[in-house]
Amino acid sequence: VTDDARASEQDVLGQRSAAIIAGIEAINPDHVLHLASSTLKIVLSHFLNGPGARPGRRVFAMPREEEGVAIAAGLELAGARPVLIFQDNGIGNLLTSLLTLAQPYHLPLLAIVSRRGGLGEYNSMIHTISERTEALLDAAGVRWFQLDARTPVHRWADEIERAWAFARATHRPVFVLVNLMGS
Amino acid sequence: VTAPSLSRAEALRVIDAAAPDSPAVLSLGGIAREMLAVAGRKGNHFISLDAMGQTVSVALGLALGLPADFAGKVIALEGDGSLLMGLSVLSTVGHLKPSRLVVYILDNGVYLATGGQPTASADIDLVAIAHACSWRGARDVRTAEELAAATRWALETEGPVLIRVRISTVQLPASYFLEDPAILAEDFRRWLRSSVTSDPAPPRGVPGRDDNTPS
Repeated sequence: VTDDARASEQDVLGQRSAAIIAGIEAINPDHVLHLASSTLKIVLSHFLNGPGARPGRRVFAMPREEEGVAIAAGLELAGARPVLIFQDNGIGNLLTSLLTLAQPYHLPLLAIVSRRGGLGEYNSMIHTISERTEALLDAAGVRWFQLDARTPVHRWADEIERAWAFARATHRPVFVLVNLMGS
Repeated sequence: VTAPSLSRAEALRVIDAAAPDSPAVLSLGGIAREMLAVAGRKGNHFISLDAMGQTVSVALGLALGLPADFAGKVIALEGDGSLLMGLSVLSTVGHLKPSRLVVYILDNGVYLATGGQPTASADIDLVAIAHACSWRGARDVRTAEELAAATRWALETEGPVLIRVRISTVQLPASYFLEDPAILAEDFRRWLRSSVTSDPAPPRGVPGRDDNTPS
């Protein structure tokens, strides 16, 4: 990989991260629940110690995705505005919680899910679950949208905001799968 | 140590009598069914029909998300087996310190609804774990009198607090509860809107609704 290619990857990461931040900020969540993710580092930094860390907003780590789904379910019941941010290799952890709580109780959660395991991936194993993300979500009946190179980055923020509205309009969890690795 | 004599139904009666109007999340299985048997269908009860391991997490979300002017407590009624499936939430609660949260662990030491297979709780000091996770208080009780006293303490104390209630394996005959979960959620939301807030249809997500929002 040449220096130019690396610089290009960083440009893409920066532009897409900024678009995701803009989309989430447009939603104006009062709670941001996250899990560790190297590809989401810029996004998470914005909410943890950047301009997105503001009074009236709580930002905290969920130890497991399923716990985050349940906390967000309680927040939704209370009338709050939670957003979940994590990687697609955690999808397996949350399916039971999603399908026994959020989905059947008609709770409109929004999750921003970073794609891993594709072109540009540096982990030799993670594709074994990440490549199956769409299939797992389809099998579970979870509605998802994908943001990658096929969607111009200037459209990403609007699409994220629309996904939030769509979750509420259809009374169910909606996942936005975001590819920050260039594909 | 003698076996606990307090039954789950007796414990639920004590808790419901002490906090009849607090929003409460009921764990799946026997806790939900026996609460329905002793207290009936109540608007302040959010009934989990499955989602094992997530009862405290749902209550945590409620405690964080309710409006800042809500002065009451949010109650989680959890079992030992379900708690141990999602034990990490004790660290999340300790970290976030929701002052409204009161968690009861009704501990009979077994997965009673599925035939009484043992859990690991007999060797686990849940009160010590709560303290180690920076909860503001935790108690271990064995009798109805101790439970009533601990409940009075919990309702008057800044949370989060945990009460481990040692209960017997006596079960109340209770039928299956087969209501649509979407209706359960909407009933609970309607109760929250009418009982917890002064606004019958509050806007979603007004910032600053929590009692310990970071600034």
